Amino acid sequence: MKSEVFSGQRFWTYFKYDLTQMWRNHMKAAIVIGLAGLIFYIVGVAFNATFNHVWQAPGFKGRFIVFILSAVVLQLYQARTYGYLTDRRKGAAWLMIPASAFEKWLSMTIITLIVIPVAFLGTYAAVDGILSLADPTYGKVLLTFASQGLKEMNEALQEANTEYNTTWNLKLFVLPLLVSHCFNYLYFLLCGITFKRHKILWAILLVFGFSIVWSTLATFLGINYSIEINDLVEAEVFARQSLKWTTAVCAVVSLVLAYGIYYRIKTLKH
Amino acid sequence: MITVKNLSFSYGSKRVLNDINLELKGGNIYGLLGENGVGKTTLLTLLCGLKKPKTGSIDTDGRNPFDRQPSLLSEQFYLPDEVAPMRSTAIRFGQEHGKLWPAFDFEKYLTILKEFEVDPDQLMDSMSAGQLKKSWISFALACNARHYFMDEPTNGLDIPSKSQFRKAITKYTSEESAVVISTHQVRDLEEIIDPIIILDKEAVLLNASLKTISDKLYFDYGTALRPGSLYLEQTPSGAIQVYPNTSGEESKVNLEALFNAVHSHKDVIKALFQQPYEK
Repeated sequence: MKSEVFSGQRFWTYFKYDLTQMWRNHMKAAIVIGLAGLIFYIVGVAFNATFNHVWQAPGFKGRFIVFILSAVVLQLYQARTYGYLTDRRKGAAWLMIPASAFEKWLSMTIITLIVIPVAFLGTYAAVDGILSLADPTYGKVLLTFASQGLKEMNEALQEANTEYNTTWNLKLFVLPLLVSHCFNYLYFLLCGITFKRHKILWAILLVFGFSIVWSTLATFLGINYSIEINDLVEAEVFARQSLKWTTAVCAVVSLVLAYGIYYRIKTLKH
Repeated sequence: MITVKNLSFSYGSKRVLNDINLELKGGNIYGLLGENGVGKTTLLTLLCGLKKPKTGSIDTDGRNPFDRQPSLLSEQFYLPDEVAPMRSTAIRFGQEHGKLWPAFDFEKYLTILKEFEVDPDQLMDSMSAGQLKKSWISFALACNARHYFMDEPTNGLDIPSKSQFRKAITKYTSEESAVVISTHQVRDLEEIIDPIIILDKEAVLLNASLKTISDKLYFDYGTALRPGSLYLEQTPSGAIQVYPNTSGEESKVNLEALFNAVHSHKDVIKALFQQPYEK
């Protein structure tokens, strides 16, 4: 007899179904976001050809900004991907699918945190690579710039370590980045399945609200704490502690968000 | 079997259902009748687990529907009045969605679609309301569920499709299935629904089989008008009168006349019929 909470076979069947539906319902948006680099390239080349009479691909800065904007749009879009849950017709049909709340939650979380970002990065990198190979004016791929930037940042950190006798390295930022990724995506997902209308708008407004409260609190704490900082050693300790605590708070909030999504699925009514 | 005990539900301060008691047994197609806003859809959504009772309980084969356990979800199907327009063809919908129901029969799905004259290659979100409804009905019946909850299933169907629906519901549901159909279109379904549940504001006015109804009430289709009838309706061919069956004669139950008789003489009807579930 299968468990009512989790069955591997049932989960796999549901997960494949969820992936298929995700692709079918959000294919157009996914293509536009994933191919933003290509769209920007076409617009840039057309602009240069029309007004400057030269074949010239957009520069690195423009490409980088478009990439960042695409990544931000992708995060905002998470408020739409499962937004149909609040729709009476589609939401009711979804709730009646024979899979447990945990299986639905797990599938949703994997797709949101892993599948969508990986698909986006993969598409973006592939398009970027093809354009780099096809057009000599395009320059290096974004990944090259990214690795070069990381290398330079690492060198700067090493120099600082030698000068101030500290032990900073890039690995220290991996966990905060991952936690921040989970936090952002889960936040927009929860907003998407909570608000019935204007999902993205409400999500952004709430971010503004939280930001004001958080920055006020952080400033207050920072002012009080900085009084006790007397030298660089204490400043370094403060920086490490800040990073650690921010990551910890972010991780706890991410867990709360993940549980909030599960609770919403479990108690959703139509 | 589905057992409803002391069920109450309200939207905010507006009470919709109050102290409802019911037993729904397999092998029956229940007709859930009632005026607009008495809570028919609410009751169906409570029965299938889309809503949580405020007080009281629902027990479906030993399980609480609101727990939405996969084993129960795979044995039931809720067909809402307005069905979702899926972004796929009917055939692909069956292939993908059907895998989630362990007892889903794809061949049966195609057969019912064909009987309903639905093009399986048409995109569901470009179908007419009737075609979309028929696709969902076909899917529901192909799921081979034990419990069906259908809200106004004949709404939007053309006349041949209504007839097809009646055939399909009797042909493609198993003998153990409990089917609950909420409807205003009693004429569409009066040949198949039995027993009849009539909901009034917050309460069940009547829950009885057609046999019991026929035993308790006499439906007179003659031209001679009798005083003291519970309901009288003039028709081009004469009249329909409903009055307590004192002679023990059998008559064909007219659901519209029954509904109107029940509503105009609630206390008389309550006294005539014994509720099947005693608290």
